[in-house]
Amino acid sequence: MQITGMLWGAKLLDYVDYPTAEVLGPDATGTQVKDLIDRWGSVLIKPIFKGGIGKKGKSGLIGRATDLATAMREKERLFFVEHRVGNQVAKAEGVTFEGAVPAEHEIYVSIADATRYRAPTLTITHHGGVDIEDLAPNQIAAIPFDALTGFKGFIVANALDSIDAPREIISPLVQHLPKLWDLFNNYGMSMLELNPIRMMPNGQGRLSPVACDFKCAFDGDDPTWHRLNLPDNLESASYSGFEIEVNALRTYQGQSDVFVINDQGTITAMTFGGGANALVTELLGEAGNISSDFGGNPPYEKMYDISRIVYKHWLAQSNVLFIIGGKANNTDIYTTFRAMADALRDYFNTHGRRPLFVVVGRGGPNLIRGMAYLKDTLDGLGLPYRMFGHDSAMSGVVNYARDIDAWMRTGGRAEIARQMGLSINESAIG
Amino acid sequence: MSANDAHFLGAMRRQGIPEFPHFFVGNGNLAQFATRDDRVCVLNILGNESRTVTPISHTYSGGNVVCGVQPGRSGSVLKTELNDIPVYNTVAEALEAGHRFNVAVVYVPPAGVKDAVIEAVRVNPVLTRVVILTEKVPLSDARIIRQYCQLQGVDVFGGNCLGIADAHHHVRIGGALGGTHPAESLVPGTVAIYSNSGNFTTTIAVYLLTAGWGTTVSLSSGKDVYIHFAAAEFTNAFHNDRRSHAAVMYIEPGGYYERDLVFEKPVIACVVGRWKDRLTKACGHAGAIAGSGDNAAAKERWFMEKLGVAAVYTADHPVFSAKGAVVTNIADIPSAMTAVMALNRRQPDFAPIGDLSMKCWFADDTGLALPAALDVKAVPAVEPYKEQIEAVNRQVGVIPPREVMKDASGASMMDPQTQITRLHGASILDLATRSYEENLVLALVREYPDDTGRALANVVLNAYVDLHGTPLLAAAHAARAAGSSPNTALCAAVALLGPNLVEGARTAVLTLLEVFRQSGITDLTDPNVAIDARIAATTAEQAGTLLAAEPDPLAAAMLAGAQARGALETAILRYLIDLAAAQDRHPSADAVLAAICLHLAWRPLLHKRISVTTLANLPWHLRVAATMVGASVNPDRQTADSFGGVPVRSLIDDWSFTETAYLALLAHRPDADGRFAFSVLLGLTASNGPGTISAQGAKGGVSADGPEMPERVQVNKGYLGFLSHTGFAHGGNGFEAMQFLIERFSGRNLADPGDPNHGLDLVRIAADYAVDFKLNKAKAKAVGNLSYAKIPCVNHPIFKGKEINLDPREVYVRELFESRGSYNVFHEFYHELVHALASYGVSSNVYCVNIDAVIAVILLKILWRPYVAGEVDAGFLEYGAFTTFLYGRTIGTAAEIEDHATRGRNMDTRTAASQCRFVA
Repeated sequence: MQITGMLWGAKLLDYVDYPTAEVLGPDATGTQVKDLIDRWGSVLIKPIFKGGIGKKGKSGLIGRATDLATAMREKERLFFVEHRVGNQVAKAEGVTFEGAVPAEHEIYVSIADATRYRAPTLTITHHGGVDIEDLAPNQIAAIPFDALTGFKGFIVANALDSIDAPREIISPLVQHLPKLWDLFNNYGMSMLELNPIRMMPNGQGRLSPVACDFKCAFDGDDPTWHRLNLPDNLESASYSGFEIEVNALRTYQGQSDVFVINDQGTITAMTFGGGANALVTELLGEAGNISSDFGGNPPYEKMYDISRIVYKHWLAQSNVLFIIGGKANNTDIYTTFRAMADALRDYFNTHGRRPLFVVVGRGGPNLIRGMAYLKDTLDGLGLPYRMFGHDSAMSGVVNYARDIDAWMRTGGRAEIARQMGLSINESAIG
Repeated sequence: MSANDAHFLGAMRRQGIPEFPHFFVGNGNLAQFATRDDRVCVLNILGNESRTVTPISHTYSGGNVVCGVQPGRSGSVLKTELNDIPVYNTVAEALEAGHRFNVAVVYVPPAGVKDAVIEAVRVNPVLTRVVILTEKVPLSDARIIRQYCQLQGVDVFGGNCLGIADAHHHVRIGGALGGTHPAESLVPGTVAIYSNSGNFTTTIAVYLLTAGWGTTVSLSSGKDVYIHFAAAEFTNAFHNDRRSHAAVMYIEPGGYYERDLVFEKPVIACVVGRWKDRLTKACGHAGAIAGSGDNAAAKERWFMEKLGVAAVYTADHPVFSAKGAVVTNIADIPSAMTAVMALNRRQPDFAPIGDLSMKCWFADDTGLALPAALDVKAVPAVEPYKEQIEAVNRQVGVIPPREVMKDASGASMMDPQTQITRLHGASILDLATRSYEENLVLALVREYPDDTGRALANVVLNAYVDLHGTPLLAAAHAARAAGSSPNTALCAAVALLGPNLVEGARTAVLTLLEVFRQSGITDLTDPNVAIDARIAATTAEQAGTLLAAEPDPLAAAMLAGAQARGALETAILRYLIDLAAAQDRHPSADAVLAAICLHLAWRPLLHKRISVTTLANLPWHLRVAATMVGASVNPDRQTADSFGGVPVRSLIDDWSFTETAYLALLAHRPDADGRFAFSVLLGLTASNGPGTISAQGAKGGVSADGPEMPERVQVNKGYLGFLSHTGFAHGGNGFEAMQFLIERFSGRNLADPGDPNHGLDLVRIAADYAVDFKLNKAKAKAVGNLSYAKIPCVNHPIFKGKEINLDPREVYVRELFESRGSYNVFHEFYHELVHALASYGVSSNVYCVNIDAVIAVILLKILWRPYVAGEVDAGFLEYGAFTTFLYGRTIGTAAEIEDHATRGRNMDTRTAASQCRFVA
């Protein structure tokens, strides 16, 4: 789960009394927007993207208006705008109106766990408002700190000192930034970034560090962020229906990680183990539809449910059902294969028979019992198969699955369909 | 010292090794990672994973687990091959009980890991290592574990790792490296393994064996964001381990753990996961999600620079130096290791063990013609798998898992949209174009017979059809004489076909299976298949179940029939004849029946489409099918050697069973059109899915016998369930349509319903009826009779609502007959009728002519002439319609009985009391 933007960022920062820019959501009325302009002189209009995606400013996706008509034109321009960064594509679902905070200084701050130090680490610069990657190393301070005691004011002071930050910004930041640790640590975040914080002068000449953009990511393994009661659909756009269904099975017993690689792919790979996941997904390329990791010795019920969901979403379009993993250390092959076989049989019973070639590469406890169960099931369903032992190179088995897929695309699928006595409709991909 | 005292000692910081001045590392030599002196306490020892893994680790390591902790389970033990491991509520309690250990292994669920680690470290001052197996530890807890154990001077391994194994010391600590048989994979050698993947730690060890490389220490690091004991610490310890001459490092994207490594010994780095750049969220290992600086491409570069190579090593393009090589496929690790070590003048540790070539262990194409390159054949596996696979392959036939089969079927399925039922994948519309005997074989063995199989099926079905002098025939006749319906009369006969009557054939078929099981013969009809070895291998006891001292006339008749039909060449009959000749005895009729059954079942058995139970039941089913036809013919039409006036010998030699069934009903042999029409009738009525009353009856009969002990299932009783669940409403209703048609056509001088020049004005007949019907219906309504006579076989609950409605099954059959130039005046009349009903306002649209009408019009066409000639009466029409249905439905019933016997559970058709209603 990731959150970007001030619509939700301001709400989260409010939990720890951190100053934020004033924000109105997409359903703000003209009167409200005008009032905001009157008080702040101008407003920034930013598209709302679900999930985490950056570089909005560089892409011209931040509008600014000093009058209501311009603000509404910008709203219309940005309301459904599409934004692409690398492989990520996001479509806006509304805009925010944010009061423009006047300031001389813009600060970048992030807290995240750095593998360099194996500790939570503060990254800070007073050259904020730009991409951090664009700055020289000596303009940035990255200071690890003690996870047991947390993020203290002196860490901020030392960090700013080390990059020669202007003196007037140090005290307000020392006062306010440690609040971010409470948000980060108490609500299961893996990353928190404010960029920029604009140092707004108040009446007494002191500066107040106002957060003007927000980004955070939550640790999926940490239940504490559920305390925030964020709406379920906050990030739903970045998950497919398939991923959401599988994620619902997420428990500590056994993995159930899936990622849709190519929704047109014709090899459905049931992959076991993080290593196999990396190797198999890479070698399958676009032929695979999902990347998966179902290792970790899942119990029968979980494996059955995972299989049922995978088959429901992908089997109709698949030429090859590919069950692949190394020589399992602990995952019970009989249990996992029985679950996958039973789910396959039930799929055929409820969705009808499909032409399919099953390729297996696996090793581990109760291997032959598991393979024999699957074999009996496939025999009963009339499906062709090849099962390879763990002493066949995994990459060779992946390539075999790819070759079978290629053959299926060029007539093999129809041949299997004929062999199974299926009609043209039943054998069609879909 | 008490456990509480230990708290104060534990707070003192240990001295780390000097190579790491900025953070604590306690252990600087791989040789000390997992030793015979280490003593282990397992936290959550009785959890699911530990319960299976810990006993294997303990035994492999010579008993290194001294105790375990499981809150609330103090006093329990975990049994192992060596000894029982005691279990305590807390670590403190274990210490107070006198146990001493320097390693804690953590299997605690993720939410409890942090507290478990802190507690174990806090109370045990001599604890130096913690191994965390648990995956999905929250990041916020991992931070604290890291910091706390740094302060306490404890090395942490993991989380989400599989621990450490030392092949030389024969010790593994933590998880299941090497699986259930660690010594198979962890063979002592000179290569250390560091792997982000637990599974690949073992897989790489196995791969290395194929090039003759054994291992020292295998360390599964885990791949969470926090890798507590990471690549730098491993590398230092590897350098200091004199046994380790080289290392394999398996690295995934994410994190900067490897960027600053400096190697002093050769390393093969396997960096995978370039595709992971596309990920926007972790899939697989939690820490394997990278930014632009720590992705797979960056890590490849890091290692290439360190190892002095310009490209990735592949089999086709091997790039390596004396420092090492970078691979992206684990299959390249063994050859890369050999190449690099050769430059270091080191030979493999031992001769290669196994290889990585493609070894298929199980293969089946279900008869597909795969391209040669893809047609990978199964090869013998390495031990111990070879023996296990051989045991699996000795199994002939499928053993499907048992499940509740109430309202379910693995044999038939009706498509609710088209109302077309499939039997073993074949549509009943296809069944309609096949002969009765072919459909019976399909029902039983899930595929149609070959030419020889069809001929042999006709031999055996005709051989058992004549029931002259048997109590079966007498019982059926007595039931009929008492006024019982046709199904009831057949019940009487089938009830007498009990298990004792088929025991000999059942035994014989299992004997033949035993003889041919491992023969390697796939095509029984191949005349070149040698059967000498089978004969030589037949024991006297086996021969005793197949042969008789005296000639058996029925056996002789069947063999003669097989010869007459050119089907004697099947290997099984040749075997039987030659075996008898070799032993100077004679095949029994049971043996010939059994041989024919095995021929029919052989291919489906080899392809695991049917079970051995079904094979053993086959003789019974075929005899029931023959009995149904035989018992529907009165005793006065059967003699010792003739049936329906035809010599039984002729039937066996020459008649199809379709023709015999026709003969049984209509007393003469059909011509080609008659045979085709009759086959269509039988095929169309074969099945309407598992929900029909007749199928439910058959399934209930099987279920009540308890199919989980399949030998107890009485096949004939399954048919009794079917027969008792048919009646005048289900099976006998075709007669209503015939009666309706007779009323419309009587007195109209129709000579031949198949002659399109019949001279009748069908439009007028239909119109007159529609007008009359409308009038009478109005009158009936006026007097409150809402159940005014419905017109049989028009309209359908699914095929309705359009301007013109059609039942696709009826359309198919109509076109089928049209394509043969076969005309049926009754069928044409029905179409005129539905249009007339719409034209005259009886119906709001044109009803469909439904499939039941098709059955009635075909049968009436066959029976019209004898009916008009007075040879048969209305009672016979009713009898004929009902019996024809029973013949046809026998096909589907055979399939349901076998399916339920093979898959069903005991009493699985019952309805729970909570689902039943009391009606006042």
